[in-house]
Amino acid sequence: MTGPAASGWALWRRQATVLARQEVGRSLLGRRVLPVLLLGAMPVGIALLRALFLPESQRAHPGHSTTELAQVFHFFVLRFIVFFTTALLFVKLFRGEILERSLHYQLLAPLRREVLAVGKYLGGLASAALAMAATVAATWLLYYLPHGAAGLAHTASARGLGELAAYLGVTVLACAAYGALFLLAGLFFRNPMVPAVLFLGWEVLTPFLPGYLKALSIVHYLGSLAPVPVSQGPFALLVQPVPGFIAVLALVAISAGLVALAAWRTRTLEVTYSVD
Amino acid sequence: MSAGTITVADVSKFYGEVLGVNRVTVEILPGLTGLVGPNGSGKSTLMHLLTGLLQPSQGEISVLGVPPNRPEALFRLVGYCTQYDSFPGGATGRSFLEHTLTLHGSDGREARRRASEILERVGLADAGGRRVAGYSKGMRQRVKLAQAICHEPQVLILDEPLNGLDPMGRAEMIDLFKELARGGRHVVVSSHILHEVDLISDRVVMIHGGSVVAEGSIRAVRGEITAQPLQVLVRCDRPHAVAARAFELPHVVEARIVDEATGVLLRTTDAGRFFPELGRIILDTGVEVETVRPADENVDAVYDYLIGTTGSSS
Repeated sequence: MTGPAASGWALWRRQATVLARQEVGRSLLGRRVLPVLLLGAMPVGIALLRALFLPESQRAHPGHSTTELAQVFHFFVLRFIVFFTTALLFVKLFRGEILERSLHYQLLAPLRREVLAVGKYLGGLASAALAMAATVAATWLLYYLPHGAAGLAHTASARGLGELAAYLGVTVLACAAYGALFLLAGLFFRNPMVPAVLFLGWEVLTPFLPGYLKALSIVHYLGSLAPVPVSQGPFALLVQPVPGFIAVLALVAISAGLVALAAWRTRTLEVTYSVD
Repeated sequence: MSAGTITVADVSKFYGEVLGVNRVTVEILPGLTGLVGPNGSGKSTLMHLLTGLLQPSQGEISVLGVPPNRPEALFRLVGYCTQYDSFPGGATGRSFLEHTLTLHGSDGREARRRASEILERVGLADAGGRRVAGYSKGMRQRVKLAQAICHEPQVLILDEPLNGLDPMGRAEMIDLFKELARGGRHVVVSSHILHEVDLISDRVVMIHGGSVVAEGSIRAVRGEITAQPLQVLVRCDRPHAVAARAFELPHVVEARIVDEATGVLLRTTDAGRFFPELGRIILDTGVEVETVRPADENVDAVYDYLIGTTGSSS
């Protein structure tokens, strides 16, 4: 029998890397990429149309675009585009292979089930983060381009780049947290889109919830990290924003907790394709 | 539980209220073991339980001392060729094997080298670069087998591995199974085609309705079925003479001339006394004997006696 070239952590790291690479290939080079591209193209398309038809009177004021971009990012990109992109990618990590009836090959490898869950999650995260970061960066750029020299100056300034970095950071954290949630949903539900839509409803309702319930949402922490504050509307219950480092810690903890739950679930995962 | 055997102790598996296997206790030794039974008898469930793809509702399993809920240790020892005829989308035979090998710990170069060797061994050297989706059923069986043996496991579990293979392919695969078993491995092969198992197995485990109904060598299992007289075929030049003398024996319940009077089929209720007395008859009558062989020491007959219907017909 062939022995492993590495053992313990080194072997687990290698196996997780192999699995993550495979998932990136499947997500970004296979058929799964089409809906991701479609979703990613929506904010970019909107930004492009806006750039083409922005009234002349607004072209002199990049500040207006900063506010508008913050709202588009918070209400459209985070809550819908990132949400559904991660749903599409992460639900399929296990559910897709169950429907394809090929999950057993992964379960027949000398691989801790926890490593399988983590490897797949990291692959999904890399794919989602890559796709969404590209979307956010392109959208951001298209919001400032119509402002001519002033817009370009903003995109090249420390303030502008800091704003972009913050948007990208929030996007990656959103992918991590929503991704972990959908990884878990894919393991527990035959049709994970039902809990996904229910959770979307919860996220949309978050501004109207009291503070202790806001803490149970993901978008609440993501909103606290936004580089430009966004008005939640006249009916929102206003609470003190969560400090940045606590929001990051909370999102990392939520992601890690959900991935740990998913890993625990895989320990007892059975192959019963006929009933799945 | 012994570290050198596969032991299944009082294992049951329920799918909700449906019973998959029922209080199965069996020990599998090195060599080629046939797991036989009709479709739906519980063969695949038992194989899934052995490999941790299912978890028992009760009972314990040990594969060379390793419980199936430790895949990281189990699949260093075990290769499993399932009955599922599906593969990861877009995979070629080679990429599929290389991915499997890298999960086993091989680096890229080693995985490529080993994949080439295994593809050669299962007769897919020329087709390795093609997508598995375009393979014939027989080729898919071969690539699944390649996945199961690529890490040279000590235990090989094969669920209906000859399905879809042409006669030449079947012969090649049977030779491969025998070769693997000769090396001291545990090779467990399931089939609902009983005569196929009869050809290749050292021992059989017969399963029906989720329960093990018999296990051991075909001869030993047949020997324990005392309710059915043993059938012995004697091919000789004067079968009538043998039939007449044999019928005088109190334990011979039937003597029938068969195959255009080239042989006689005898049925006896006492195999222990029959063979010495048959020898005496042959000497006394001076007939020229071509062969003497049991006519129902095969899996089909044994299964038929135990269950009342042969698995191959299901």
